[in-house]
Amino acid sequence: MENEEILENNELTLDELQAKEMKEKTKFQKILDHVTCFLPIIVGFIAILEYKLVPNVPEFYNPKPNTYITFLLILMGIFFSLYVVSLFLKRKSFFNTVLHKAPLTAAVFAFLILYDCLTLKSNYLLYPFFPWFNDILNAMIGDAAFLLECSLNTLKLLFYGYFSGVLVGLITGIICGYSKKAEYWVDPLIKILGPIPTATWIPLIMVIASTLFKGCVFIVALGVWFAVTTATMTGIKSIDKAYFEAAQNMGCDSKQLIFKIAIPAAVPNIFQGMTQGMSSACVALMVAEMIGVESGLGWYIVWAKAWANYSKMYASIIIICIIFTVVTQTLAFIRRRVLRWQEGLVR
Amino acid sequence: MAAIELKLDHVSKSFAKKESKSVINVLQDINASFHENEFISIVGTSGCGKSTLLRLVAGFINPTEGKIIMNGEEVTKTEPNRGMVFQKPTLFPWLTVGQNIAFSLKAQGIYKENAERVDEMLELIGLADFKDEFPARLSGGMAQRVALARTIINQPDVLLLDEPLSALDAFTRMNMQDEVLAIWKLRKQLVLMVTHDVDEAIYMGTKVVVMDKNPGRISKIIPIELDYPRDRTSKQFVDYRIEILNTLHFGNK
Ligand SMILES: Nc1ncnc2c1ncn2[C@@H]1O[C@H](COP(=O)(O)OP(=O)(O)OP(=O)(O)O)[C@@H](O)[C@H]1O
Ligand SMILES: [Mg+2]
Repeated sequence: MENEEILENNELTLDELQAKEMKEKTKFQKILDHVTCFLPIIVGFIAILEYKLVPNVPEFYNPKPNTYITFLLILMGIFFSLYVVSLFLKRKSFFNTVLHKAPLTAAVFAFLILYDCLTLKSNYLLYPFFPWFNDILNAMIGDAAFLLECSLNTLKLLFYGYFSGVLVGLITGIICGYSKKAEYWVDPLIKILGPIPTATWIPLIMVIASTLFKGCVFIVALGVWFAVTTATMTGIKSIDKAYFEAAQNMGCDSKQLIFKIAIPAAVPNIFQGMTQGMSSACVALMVAEMIGVESGLGWYIVWAKAWANYSKMYASIIIICIIFTVVTQTLAFIRRRVLRWQEGLVR
Repeated sequence: MAAIELKLDHVSKSFAKKESKSVINVLQDINASFHENEFISIVGTSGCGKSTLLRLVAGFINPTEGKIIMNGEEVTKTEPNRGMVFQKPTLFPWLTVGQNIAFSLKAQGIYKENAERVDEMLELIGLADFKDEFPARLSGGMAQRVALARTIINQPDVLLLDEPLSALDAFTRMNMQDEVLAIWKLRKQLVLMVTHDVDEAIYMGTKVVVMDKNPGRISKIIPIELDYPRDRTSKQFVDYRIEILNTLHFGNK
């Protein structure tokens, strides 16, 4: 039988298999790999030297000059420790990841060098619209408490809005995917409201909603609801009827058909809707904060700009960037985890 | 095995054809009676209503006229006691092999007291090492074996097989024929198996039902009086083949 053959293969470990299938690397290539891993460290040191040795534009006042250096050292430290850890791990895949990310990390340092040259060292990008990085970092640290509060507000809005949107979207999506009658009533609503960017409603909602917070949650949830509803609906409608028949034949009642077949089969679509909903939520949230709500990072940006404090503005943009990246990546991670069964099915 | 009687009593089935607003008579006046410990092979040209017949017995659809009676009770809906294995394996891709096999026990709420049956099934189909794999990782033959296990774990009195082996290559197919026969001999239930392959029908069946089309009907039921395991090259085997091919209008007489 087929499985005996596979059993024999199983005696190899995954690493051995990969090593067998890959061409043996030459000594030169191996050395090159390690040199590549050191690239970020080298470029990082160049960045420090550049910052220290090249004279600043004389008029610029640069208090607490060492923040930037500390920042660079921390980044380099993180990368270096990952590299060292990867040398001691038995699994080669971690080293490969480090190796893979090395040129990119080096490029980040190179960009920081370039940016420093264009701002602090030459004022080629005009101050105060383009503050140098040390200034941004200092602004971030100086206003840390307030930025944290704003971040928490943003996160709170995002989560309330996002999850209520997902929850309601799932319910309507499942009902409409299942029942022709429900679809009859909800579909036109989606067709008309769907294409309108949710931000359009902000001015109206700000007036109607009892509190700004609720209004903002609603705005965020609306776009998410739309994305999740349509995706879930399509997902459920496109399920192979054979799955339902097989399940019924195996003793499922109609409630079980929903929870054991319809929903799991639609999960890939649901995640697609959730990912799409997340990006629309981020957009809606920023716009809502900038226009109406008097808290959160979006509001902070407008506020900092009004005071012409561009360093603070960049600080909050960077934080927004980090938050949204982390949130999106977490979602993608969960998605990969849940959809493990698709491996080998798609691609 | 307790006595089983499956009776098809003047069963006809028509479908509405939406495009031409007409009605198509797929099956007309099917009469037959099958019992436990019988392995019924059903052959017939494409479109003669073989799948429709199985779907009627499974209870996915109801006859337009006539009745299907199982142990004295009319068949009106599908249930695990008449287990169906589809031509496509239709394993649930989001469940592992083990979970797929356990699915029906869980759906009926009898998993806890029967959990060991899942492992027995995995042993039976020789896929114990694949319990935690997802179906996407299985070969066609393995998937079809899991589909079979998933249905027979319910110990159905009637096992309905709709061309379960047609997607397999010739060697896997011959292995699987013996495996299915072994499963049938274990519990001596009633098996109805649709196939396109006349050799397979003779090799496996205690009876071969030959169907004709337009409208679909049973043209002949041929009992195969050969001992298992059957020799595909024996004189009697070849004679049966000629008889069936003639009934299907493919003979050279
Ligand atoms: N749900 C349906 N609605 C309308 N027509 C149908 C339906 N199911 C089957 N038919 C028609 O019934 C006829 C017989 O179909 P069936 O699938 O039973 O044939 P079959 O003998 O299994 O053919 P094959 O050997 O190709 O699988 C076909 O003409 C098909 O178009
Ligand atoms: Mg068919």
